[in-house]
Amino acid sequence: MRGFSSIEELCRALTEQRYLVDEGLGTVVFLALRLRKPLLVEGEPGVGKTELAKALAAAAGAPLIRLQCYEGIDVHHALYDWDYPRQLLQLRAGGSSPLYSEEFLVRRPLLESLAQPGSVLLIDELDRADDEFEAFLLEFLSDFQVTIPEIGVMRAEHPPTVIITSNRTRDLHEALKRRCLYHWIDHPDLLREVAIARARLPEVGRRLADQVCAFVQDLRWLDLYRSPGVGETLDWAEAFHTLGRDQIDPATADRTLGVLLKERDDLERIRGKGLEGLVDRAAQRASELREDGASGDGLV
Amino acid sequence: MGLSEEGTRPLGGRPSPPPSSPRIERAPRGPDRPPEQAILAAAVALARALRNYGMSASVDSELVFFRALAEVDVRNREELYWAAHATLVRNPDERVIFDAVFERFWEGQALVPARRGAEHGESDPRGGTKQHGGEALPQFGHQGEAKAPVDGEKNRGTRDIPTAEGDQGSSNQQKGILAAWSSTDTLSEQGKLQYQEDELAALRKLAEDIKKAAPERRSRRSRPNRAGHQLDMRRTLRNSLATDGEAFRLAFTAPATRPRRILFICDVSGSMERYSRVLLASLKAAVGAARKAEAFVFATRLTRLTRSLDGRDLEQALEQARAAVPDWSGGTRIGTTLADFNRTYGRRGFARGAIVLVVSDGWDRGDPKVLAGEVRRLQLQARRLVWVNPRPQEVDQQPLAIGMRAALPFIDEFIPGHDPRAVAGLARLISGAGSQRPNRRLPAGVEPAAVVDRMGPLGSTS
Repeated sequence: MRGFSSIEELCRALTEQRYLVDEGLGTVVFLALRLRKPLLVEGEPGVGKTELAKALAAAAGAPLIRLQCYEGIDVHHALYDWDYPRQLLQLRAGGSSPLYSEEFLVRRPLLESLAQPGSVLLIDELDRADDEFEAFLLEFLSDFQVTIPEIGVMRAEHPPTVIITSNRTRDLHEALKRRCLYHWIDHPDLLREVAIARARLPEVGRRLADQVCAFVQDLRWLDLYRSPGVGETLDWAEAFHTLGRDQIDPATADRTLGVLLKERDDLERIRGKGLEGLVDRAAQRASELREDGASGDGLV
Repeated sequence: MGLSEEGTRPLGGRPSPPPSSPRIERAPRGPDRPPEQAILAAAVALARALRNYGMSASVDSELVFFRALAEVDVRNREELYWAAHATLVRNPDERVIFDAVFERFWEGQALVPARRGAEHGESDPRGGTKQHGGEALPQFGHQGEAKAPVDGEKNRGTRDIPTAEGDQGSSNQQKGILAAWSSTDTLSEQGKLQYQEDELAALRKLAEDIKKAAPERRSRRSRPNRAGHQLDMRRTLRNSLATDGEAFRLAFTAPATRPRRILFICDVSGSMERYSRVLLASLKAAVGAARKAEAFVFATRLTRLTRSLDGRDLEQALEQARAAVPDWSGGTRIGTTLADFNRTYGRRGFARGAIVLVVSDGWDRGDPKVLAGEVRRLQLQARRLVWVNPRPQEVDQQPLAIGMRAALPFIDEFIPGHDPRAVAGLARLISGAGSQRPNRRLPAGVEPAAVVDRMGPLGSTS
């Protein structure tokens, strides 16, 4: 795994992966790497929490190992299991190798991350798991080791970089938080979102990208049930692009609004407000952006 | 820059680096070289100040903060800010306090008007102090005062509907649990909350009932069970070791159960004033008893009380909860409050699969269409939506109860709170609710606004 000697270097490497970070997130990720601490990331859905782990793995040239959490997840899904069919066959065949050895061990994500040197481990949506599972994670996160009763303690020579995400459906345990660095990711502001759109969708024209971002930024002020995330901004820009548009117009916006908003009440509310006005405003703000000479390159 | 106790000058207080200590202009890089004493002293002062303002920055996170200082440029405000933020902040609610304290720290102002001698090294700095817990944070610089409402008004001024004084005559004769508990002293008054011994005993009984009735849901996890249908390979293999690999004795599992979330959303506005005192106590009982209970109260705005109520000591918890709510007996805005709930907590999945109990008389000054829409939204998220109304007989007569009439089509169960038998059945209802889905009166596609439009005049609802 590649190391980073400064915050700037890390930010540059993430930018090369088309993941733009602000100074706050850059500093925190740098610290997580240097202090070998897990990083707990929270934020609204769609702000790029999961994407951060993917970009970091790619930037560092490290394997990404992902553990998606859900209610009822336990040791056999997260850590290890035994290959029972093979064990039974071995038993029937009267083989000589011991049944509970690494030969029959099935590595699940946590164990896998210890086995692969310098990997990036993403523990996604930890708040969905039961609180007992958090307690189970404590040993892993503080010492990067796990205990398998039949074999013994397995420890990582090169501990993985751990990124934990949570949507705050419940408070995570203090003991877990104490072991982590913490960061809250907000929705990006207009300039940053424009930079993200330009970086992620090079094939989409600048004018269209700017207008889409300006439109979405306005929506986020409207107190919707579900504000669109960056991912939805990108989807919407791509939708226009796919339909052969190089700027937003009310008719196409109306037809494609479901790409952006996924609640019936929100859709009706925005349509009721009048798309013409919103589209005009977005076009206006986007043109101001260009006149200011703000270019995507200078924003990173 | 010494190690003086009060008013330790933090680093970077001036625009240019302090001339006297050139060696700390840039913190040494590398994990093994400790930062200089002066930086440490300033960092300790910062962490202590944050603790004094009720943040949970613990000593071990302070140690991580010190290590982080060695990795960043301490003269750079942004880097220092984020190093402290990443190590000392634990949840988004703390950011307001953090920003304010950090600002003073960076500007070199005195950090703490020391409220009490917080000793460096204590494990739980919050123990013993009065907390204004829940989601309401103490306003920075205003000790002892809960967070001001978002709209900037302080409770009593916003009261806009007739309150207990105005309607006592008609409802004094009410029988039933909520009515029986009503009392003249109210929460918004300054005096200490007084509960009689028999009241406290009744609360403990209530907690017992809730504990027994706590609803359950199926978990994805499975437990060993002879009667189960899922083959347990792990245990089957263990068993077959004894029979030379022949799996004679099969082991099975069945899904386990988990407690289901119970969510209380209680109206403490002016018209509910007489019930607030007992409601608060009941909430305390419920939060203490059920493993996954959450309590919210509202008048003009929503306050989450779960954490304030989650203490051992009954009376202390009640006092804390009272302090956490900024708008006791304010006016009622049920629709906007539920909208607030749906947008913040609901979106994060608080109500999903939960038993939701709304306790309110349904007197609402807002738009009934908004209310109906939000109740509908809440119902669609909840496993079962129960509405307990202490004054059900007024639903058809009192014009202000229009909110209640608008909500009625979208709730699964209506409990008249004045009827002891109905309230007694509540616990059974909660526990039984987990087993089957309610039969909803209206299909999911029906527009709440249209239902409100078709609503008849007073007296026509059944």
